[in-house]
Amino acid sequence: MHGEPFGYEKPASLREFESLFAERGEDAKILAGGTDLFVLIKERLLAPRLLIDISDLPELRGISYDPGEGLTIMAGTKVAEIERSALVREHAPALAFAAANLGSNQVRWMATMAGNVCHASPAAETPPVLLAHGCELVIGTPGGERTLPISEFFLAYRKTALQAGEYLKAFRLPPLPARSAVAYQLRGLRRAMEIDMLNMGIYLELAADGVTVSDIRLAMGSVGPVTYRARGTEQRLKGMRLGEEFMAAAGAGVAEEATPIDDMRASAAYRNRVIGVLARRGLEQCLEQIGKGRGEA
Amino acid sequence: MKKLLTLEINGERFDVAVSPATFLVDVIRETVGLTGTKKGCGIGDCGACTVLIDGRPTLSCLTLAVACTGKSITTIEGLSRGTELHPVQQAFIDKGAIQCGYCTPGMILSSTALLAENPSPSEEEIKHGLAGNLCRCTGYVKIIEAVKHAAETMAKEAK
Repeated sequence: MHGEPFGYEKPASLREFESLFAERGEDAKILAGGTDLFVLIKERLLAPRLLIDISDLPELRGISYDPGEGLTIMAGTKVAEIERSALVREHAPALAFAAANLGSNQVRWMATMAGNVCHASPAAETPPVLLAHGCELVIGTPGGERTLPISEFFLAYRKTALQAGEYLKAFRLPPLPARSAVAYQLRGLRRAMEIDMLNMGIYLELAADGVTVSDIRLAMGSVGPVTYRARGTEQRLKGMRLGEEFMAAAGAGVAEEATPIDDMRASAAYRNRVIGVLARRGLEQCLEQIGKGRGEA
Repeated sequence: MKKLLTLEINGERFDVAVSPATFLVDVIRETVGLTGTKKGCGIGDCGACTVLIDGRPTLSCLTLAVACTGKSITTIEGLSRGTELHPVQQAFIDKGAIQCGYCTPGMILSSTALLAENPSPSEEEIKHGLAGNLCRCTGYVKIIEAVKHAAETMAKEAK
């Protein structure tokens, strides 16, 4: 038997969960899929006194789309459900792709995207895409809820903006404007169960002329203690016209803003070289998608 | 303190008394005595402990037994009908996809789940579906052949 024994509660409703979490939140952990949580417990990095199992709470499951609000993914939704969802594939295909690249099939049927995000690993698969989408997080607070842009969620290595008694309730991905697309790029050693040596979420939006960059978001993973956006580069790229100069500026910009370290998965020098390549590939992928959308219209 | 719970494994109900911190793999192997499910890495990397819960491939080393009440668990022992092997089991034998055998139960359950969702997977789809199951004998080529063969057999049987 690894780790310290802990208690287990499985509330039958969201209301029951909220009151239990308010009362015991201090020494409790939320059990959604357990694929990260139990590894931490077994490796004695965490020793919660109580696990609160939310995995079957119907109020926290499901994916919906509203033309005004965009895509809403409830926190308890399994990664495998996100990967297979027709709504996600239509409105956030890069997220479906990132979900399909998380862990293994078993892990995807167990784990939730909320767990992936709250674990706050700088190498996590879904945060770069969510940052690229400009995702808003719905956070359950004692007696209510608040929203927070995901760009303000990751404070430090494995540290999030969740306060005591708060939990992640849902993800909102605003509808994509015309002439925009999101892409996801990653580098890992194998196709499953690896921790990415680099990953990136890319958002590109073109002006009505079809050649001027009106908005861009470049979210990088595994190049710092948190997943973060290359904001300086984004500012410089806005207003530029598409072309080789733009691509080169994007690649050079992200490499400059990346702060990678050497670790067992890759050297800092390698990461610095390749992050610019991922930016270029991601932008090309966005352009291809924008082109396709125009062809259909 | 131990909790008394009922687990449904391979269509049979088992009453077990377990600590809330006990993982499903240990209850299946030690308490219920079904040792077909293997315990490998214990942290979800190898897939040897894969079982199906409500038809979904699940790592029993990262699943609490207490969280499985009201769910239907299938282990490798639950696939055959009497002495007649499941087509995936038969295909693994026919194609020589078994070497030391330690990964086999997990491989077969992952394959079964894959074929239930996608009855004629491409080689890429098989690799993607089985990527969470490691074979330390490295017998992947024959395992992939076996899954293709099982898909063909099951398609014929369905006709």
